[in-house]
Amino acid sequence: MTDVDDHEELSPNELLAAEYALGVLAGTERTAAAQRVARDRAFAALVAAWQERLAPWTAELQEVAPPPQVWERIAAQLSSAQRQRPTFWQSLVFWRGFGIVSAFAAACLAVLLYLSTASQQAALVASIEGDGQRIFVAVIDVKRAAITVVPAAYRPDPTRVPELWLVPPGGKPLPLGVLPSDRPSQIALPATFADQARRDAGLAVSLEPPGGSPTGQPTGPVIGSGKLTNM
Amino acid sequence: MDLDNNRKLIAAALAAVGSGDPNALQTVYRLTATKLFAVCLRILGDRSEAEDVLQEVYMTVWSKAAVFDAALSSSMTWLIAITRNRAIDHLRARGQNRRMDPLEAAAELADDKPTADAALQGAQEQAKLQRCLDGLAGHERAALRGAFFDGNTYEELAERMKVPLGTMKSWIRRAMIKLKVCLEQ
Repeated sequence: MTDVDDHEELSPNELLAAEYALGVLAGTERTAAAQRVARDRAFAALVAAWQERLAPWTAELQEVAPPPQVWERIAAQLSSAQRQRPTFWQSLVFWRGFGIVSAFAAACLAVLLYLSTASQQAALVASIEGDGQRIFVAVIDVKRAAITVVPAAYRPDPTRVPELWLVPPGGKPLPLGVLPSDRPSQIALPATFADQARRDAGLAVSLEPPGGSPTGQPTGPVIGSGKLTNM
Repeated sequence: MDLDNNRKLIAAALAAVGSGDPNALQTVYRLTATKLFAVCLRILGDRSEAEDVLQEVYMTVWSKAAVFDAALSSSMTWLIAITRNRAIDHLRARGQNRRMDPLEAAAELADDKPTADAALQGAQEQAKLQRCLDGLAGHERAALRGAFFDGNTYEELAERMKVPLGTMKSWIRRAMIKLKVCLEQ
C-alpha cells in the first residue's frame, strides 16, 4: 500500500457519496443522500463510482439459492402490478376498484379534465365496447374539432395497432387515426368529416398494421364500437 | 470468460426489463438471485427477512430498470447497490443492528473467505480490491467490513470498536481515501 499524504482529501460531495455507498449514514443524513441521488446526476455518478469500487467485495460471499416461493411471490406481485397500468389510467382503475364511480363516468371525468377548455354543449361522447368490455372512451369537442380518446380495457395486440373510425349512419367508415394503446391521446377531426360527427353516428376501432390501414377502410377485425351521444 | 458472458446476459436482460418484459425479469432473477440472496442474508442475518428483502429488490428492479443508467454503473453493481440499500433500510427500520459484537481489528470472519467459485472466476477487480483492502490498517479494514457486510452505521462501528465517534469517522474517511488512491493505480 502506498502512503497517503495527510493532506489528501475527498471533496465534501465525494465524501458524502462514499459514506452513502458504504452505508454508514443513518436517519435524515441517509434519507437526504438517497434523495440527492435521485435528482443530482453528478452526485449520483460519484455514488455509482463508489458502488463500483466496493461491489466486487461481495464476491467473497458464498452464493445461496433462495427458496422457490420467493420467485413465486415476485411473479404474483408482477402480474397484479401489470393489471394496473402505471399511467393516467391507473387512477381510474383505482376508482373503479372501489366502486365510487363507474369506469365510464371515471373516464368521462378524466376526459373532461384532459379537455379542460372543452365546452360541454358541443361535446359528444362514445363508449367503444367489444366483447362485453369497454375498450376505449372517446369525446369529440365539436367546436375545436378535436377527439380525445382514453384507453380502458384495451389489451395491446403484439403486431397490430388500434385505429379509430367515424361511422356515419348507413355510411362507410371514415378513418380518424391510429391510437396509442397506453395513454390518452388527442386527434384532430378532419374538417371534411366534421358534419358527420353528430349524435347517432358511431365510432369503431379496428386492428390494423402499424401506421394504420393502407386502404382507407378497415382491413383488420373491428374490436369495438359505440354510438356518439351528447354529453 | 464465463463471468464476462454472464455480465452481458444480465445487462441484456435488464435492458429488456426496462422495456417492460416480465420474462426478462425472470432471466435477471435466474442469473443473479443466488448472489443477491447471499448479500441479503449476510446483512440481515435472518432468513425470512432476507427473503422479503429479495422480493422487494426484484420489484424495485422491475420498476426502476427503465431508468437504470448504464453510463453510471455496471448492471451487477446496480443490482448489488439496490440490494444493499434495501437490506440496510430494513436494518435501520429495526432500530438496532443485531451485529453489535465487538469488532477486533484483526478479525477476519471465517465465512468471508473467498469461495472456490469466486477464486475461479478470478475477477480482476475483485483481486485488485482485495489487494487494496489488505493494504489498509487492520482497524480500517475491520471498520469498512462492519459497514459493508454488517450494515453498521458510524455510531454502531464506534461502539463495536470502542472508539469515539469522531475517531471512527476519521478512520473510515482515511480508509476510503487510501482505497480510492490504491484502486486508481
